[in-house]
Amino acid sequence: MKTYVAQRLVIALLTLLGMSMVIFALLRLAPGDIVDILFSTAGYVSPSEKQAIMKELGIDRPYWVQYVDWMRQMLTGDLGKSYRYDQPAWQIIRPLVPVTLELAALSTLFAVLIGVPTGVISAVRQDTTLDYVLRLFSLAGLSMPAFWLAMVIILGLVTWFAWIPPLSYVSPFQDLKLHAVQFLLPALAVGYRSSALIMRITRSSLLEVMREDYIRTAWAKGQSGRVVIWRHALKNALLPVVTVIGIEFAFLIGGLVVTETVFNLPGVARFLVQAILWRDYPIVQNLVMFIAVVVILSNLLVDMLYGVLDPRVRYGG
Amino acid sequence: MSRVRIALLSITILALAALLFAPATSQSQTPQASPTPKPGGVLNMMLREDLSQGFSIHETATISTVWPAMPCLNNLVLFDPLKKTESVDTIIGELAEKWSWQDHYRNLVFFLRKGVKWHDGQPFTSKDVKFTFDMLREAPDAPAKLRINPRKDWYANVEAVETPDTYTAVFRLKKPQPSLLLMLASGYTPVYAAHVPPADYRTNCVGTGPFKVKEWRKGEYVEYVKNPDYFVKGRPYLDGLKYFVILERGTRQAAIQAGKLDVSFPGETSKTAAEQLKKAVPQLVITPFSQNVADNIIMNMKKPPFDNVKVRLAVSHAIDRRALIQAVQQGGAVVGAGLAPKPWGFWGLAEKDLVGLPGYGAKPADEKALARKLMGEAGYSRAKPLKVEIVTRAIAVYVDMASFVINELKQVGIEATLKQIETAQWHAMATRGDYQIGANLTGVGPDDPDANYYENYACGSPRNYSQYCNEEVMKMFDAQSQELDPKKRLALNFAIQKRLEADAARPILDWKLDYFTVWPHVKNLIPHQSIYNFGRMQEVWSDR
Repeated sequence: MKTYVAQRLVIALLTLLGMSMVIFALLRLAPGDIVDILFSTAGYVSPSEKQAIMKELGIDRPYWVQYVDWMRQMLTGDLGKSYRYDQPAWQIIRPLVPVTLELAALSTLFAVLIGVPTGVISAVRQDTTLDYVLRLFSLAGLSMPAFWLAMVIILGLVTWFAWIPPLSYVSPFQDLKLHAVQFLLPALAVGYRSSALIMRITRSSLLEVMREDYIRTAWAKGQSGRVVIWRHALKNALLPVVTVIGIEFAFLIGGLVVTETVFNLPGVARFLVQAILWRDYPIVQNLVMFIAVVVILSNLLVDMLYGVLDPRVRYGG
Repeated sequence: MSRVRIALLSITILALAALLFAPATSQSQTPQASPTPKPGGVLNMMLREDLSQGFSIHETATISTVWPAMPCLNNLVLFDPLKKTESVDTIIGELAEKWSWQDHYRNLVFFLRKGVKWHDGQPFTSKDVKFTFDMLREAPDAPAKLRINPRKDWYANVEAVETPDTYTAVFRLKKPQPSLLLMLASGYTPVYAAHVPPADYRTNCVGTGPFKVKEWRKGEYVEYVKNPDYFVKGRPYLDGLKYFVILERGTRQAAIQAGKLDVSFPGETSKTAAEQLKKAVPQLVITPFSQNVADNIIMNMKKPPFDNVKVRLAVSHAIDRRALIQAVQQGGAVVGAGLAPKPWGFWGLAEKDLVGLPGYGAKPADEKALARKLMGEAGYSRAKPLKVEIVTRAIAVYVDMASFVINELKQVGIEATLKQIETAQWHAMATRGDYQIGANLTGVGPDDPDANYYENYACGSPRNYSQYCNEEVMKMFDAQSQELDPKKRLALNFAIQKRLEADAARPILDWKLDYFTVWPHVKNLIPHQSIYNFGRMQEVWSDR
């Protein structure tokens, strides 16, 4: 197990190194830089002034020097300074992280709470009216983009209740009820879509397991439906479900752009898009690295869970 | 109680309830200054994006900075916040108690207020005035330099800023320029503190203004609290201001509708959006006003085919301005030439004066026929059409306008394809002249000819994207700038605008209107003739 984890960590580090190169290169390949944006807010461009600002920000140096400098800073825990805000990048990124993590976790929780039970019911009641209704429900979730659903929720709230959630982040220590309300609606909007995927995977996986001999044996032994389904069938059907949950959570860390934007939540994804538009390299590079770390960790966690769920899965050695 | 009495009582109660709970009828179109302001309350407002350069107004040319940064700062003079018209007659003193023109408009003397303090407690003096304006005009001995200085040209005529004593500042001009005062009254012209490095304004604000920055949560909000030491006694009325950054337009509109926000953003509300809001919440107060932003066509005069005035004029004749206003702006704009027309502006040509100028004829078909004739004279025909690439910013308001223009040009034998340019590239491309023809938007700070002409039409100006340069017209710019008689100056300006359109220097398509929206309890927030000049919030109060 230790060897396996060590191997995975080495692979993770190599992946992060690769990611850092890709994001660094992609940012430089995109047309324009922060200085062009600054001048665009002033409505003119002066080549000499542009050169001076590039020098001030250090983006006139060769790319490899900039890359090495970034790596060196990362290793010392210094994320550099935001070009746009002229403040340490960490100071700007730090408050965004919990918002996105909480929203992603809550969305995933909703997705699991809705997706797994409906998937099980749908499989157990295969080809019944209930199955068709639940499949329709999940198909609707897959078909509806989260941003559309989010906008419909906002418009519905304002039209019927003349109310919308708070416009800035409310800390749970400040007002727990309002905080819950602020996160509940976007989490439901996102969670519904993810739940549809989980429901379909749960259903198909469970249907497959239900046809296995050991399930027939369990039925033959006279065990109750609850025991057969929840203890024997579902546990074995969960491996692909857990994989999907892990992927969904990782996807949500960077994929909440529109939901955060529509609900005006100051999270990582919303800020990342703004930082990309501003070519704020220190912010973009470090936020992408943060997302990469979360993706790698969640994948690692999923792999670890395999062993817990299925004792036959053994690692390394 | 008899049945009749019960019935009467019920009717009375119902009538009273209806009176109490019925939606209030719309207020007058323009929020009126109220005689009995109430202190207290916090105003919630919106921003479409975060402050682009913090509070450093001098380093930007965008309303996204001016609007939320204005409450922190003061000018020497300002357009009266309570009057919607902006002219010399509506200028009031801020840091200057009085001012006086001397030596036939060659010296502008400001007598400064005493006892004014910066938010960090330092006293305000004439040293701050000299510091700011030497920095802006990039005087050789200026103690500081701005990273980006978009309005340097405004101060090209200032020879020196002198400070004979602590509370007097004198602007010595190279030649008379009465309109300098109007530029000094713009929201774009605050005074910075001499003891604070200009770069610091990008992250914080040390001003003398009615409000002090409490917190700027990046990408989230800017919060202000009342400045208790403000030099105008009894002001501001409000205890605070909060500007929320809301990137999604639908959310911004929902927030206004739900009453989470008290005020819309200047330049935010189109006519259609205003109508939707009014339908949903009839009591909202909606005031149409000029954004002082014009849709226009830029054509690179340094390169063929637009170095040929006939081709430029053909383009101008081809575009039906009135149809554009209906189709693209849904009626939320007005026709005009180089400056916004009355009542939205002061200096622009009225619609009747536009007749006869390219593109303003009564019959669009005749205009298009004329355009085709000009194209023929320039050597183009149906068999040999002119093929061009029309550039525009990759933003919906630009693209919509450009698409309309392409369709119009097609009808006169100009085959244009659209190329969208990302914001990061747009100004660099336009300044370099790396384009043939473009669909553009131009905002003007104060509604004043000098601010517009020298920035957008003068030889060598970096914002003169068409690279139009006409020495004769430059002399006309100078003549109107130095003209002391207001009537003569207006007449000169009419002549200049006609000349610019006749030269197809930068054909103006329309002047956009905004439908500024506030809740009825917001008092004394009166939109001006320009979106850039009424964000001080000193006089605003909340009647909750």
